[in-house]
Amino acid sequence: MLRIHLTVLYLILCCSLLDRPLHGEQLDTQMEEIKQSLIELKRDLLILEEELLYPASSQVAVYLSMNVGDFFNLDSVTLKLNGKEVSHYLYTELQIDALYRGGVQRLFIGNVKQGSNRISAFFIGKGPNGREYKRAATAEFEKNFEPTFVELKISDSTAKYQPDFVVSVSS
Amino acid sequence: MNKCRIQIVKFLIYLGLVTLTVTSNAITVQDDAPDFTLKSLQGENLRLNEYRGRVVLLNFWASWCGPCRQEMPLLDRIHKRYQDAGFAVLSVNVEGDPIPARALAQETGVSFPVLIDSGQKISELYELEAMPSSVLIDRDGVVRYIHRGYQPGDEAQYLKVVKQLIKE
Repeated sequence: MLRIHLTVLYLILCCSLLDRPLHGEQLDTQMEEIKQSLIELKRDLLILEEELLYPASSQVAVYLSMNVGDFFNLDSVTLKLNGKEVSHYLYTELQIDALYRGGVQRLFIGNVKQGSNRISAFFIGKGPNGREYKRAATAEFEKNFEPTFVELKISDSTAKYQPDFVVSVSS
Repeated sequence: MNKCRIQIVKFLIYLGLVTLTVTSNAITVQDDAPDFTLKSLQGENLRLNEYRGRVVLLNFWASWCGPCRQEMPLLDRIHKRYQDAGFAVLSVNVEGDPIPARALAQETGVSFPVLIDSGQKISELYELEAMPSSVLIDRDGVVRYIHRGYQPGDEAQYLKVVKQLIKE
């Protein structure tokens, strides 16, 4: 009900403001100013939303990157934070290609408590000789007041002829 | 005075945006179709947004649903007929178990991708109210038609909308 009242109030006030006759040039200038204000407002809302939803003191962001995958064809990644699944992402061929070309994916952004935390990533795909492959990589980190960034890196280890899965944490 | 007016308009626009965003989340015509990625029975990961540029008929079904079984061969005919004109059918099995989905797909011999909604997340995303449900999405990824349930003869309506969207 409150939403309906607010919408009606908004429409009435908009109509009353636009009711007054304006000269052409003045109207154009005002329209431009309103558009500029709208863009600034949108930008401010975006930053505010991020700061409210993911404040630096609890923010953790996980990024995935991939080296040329001769030894591993990625299918999906499951991410667990303190034992709870927070992300399960399936990759299409186009997305894999983008990763090969140097793309970095923001897999997850969320909030964790300060102190000790544990992140685990499970990589599923096809390994050498087309075998089904499932590997996990885990890291423990201390969450402090700064935003925490976790990098999941998949690369080929030519020494072992196997893919390498590394989790590194920076804050 | 002008600055004051601009501030008031700014506030009203913000209020309007807030009002609009807190209203219902049900998918309706003219909404952007929510994106998702699911695994197909062939083992391929398919993402809805990668079908931009094509008209897509997203069909939700279950193996226990009689009308779904009736509808599938008809959808397959439409898929085969208009595939080269930039049309695709993506069918989503809502049970999450590939075994009954594979059995029915083999029985009906459909040629379009059958995706498995493990976890029923996509069904929740699209807020299905009936089975089967079909959503027609245009080349820009906008929902243009929603059809709930199936009765013999409904495929004529699908065809009408598909042709209209292909011509755009």
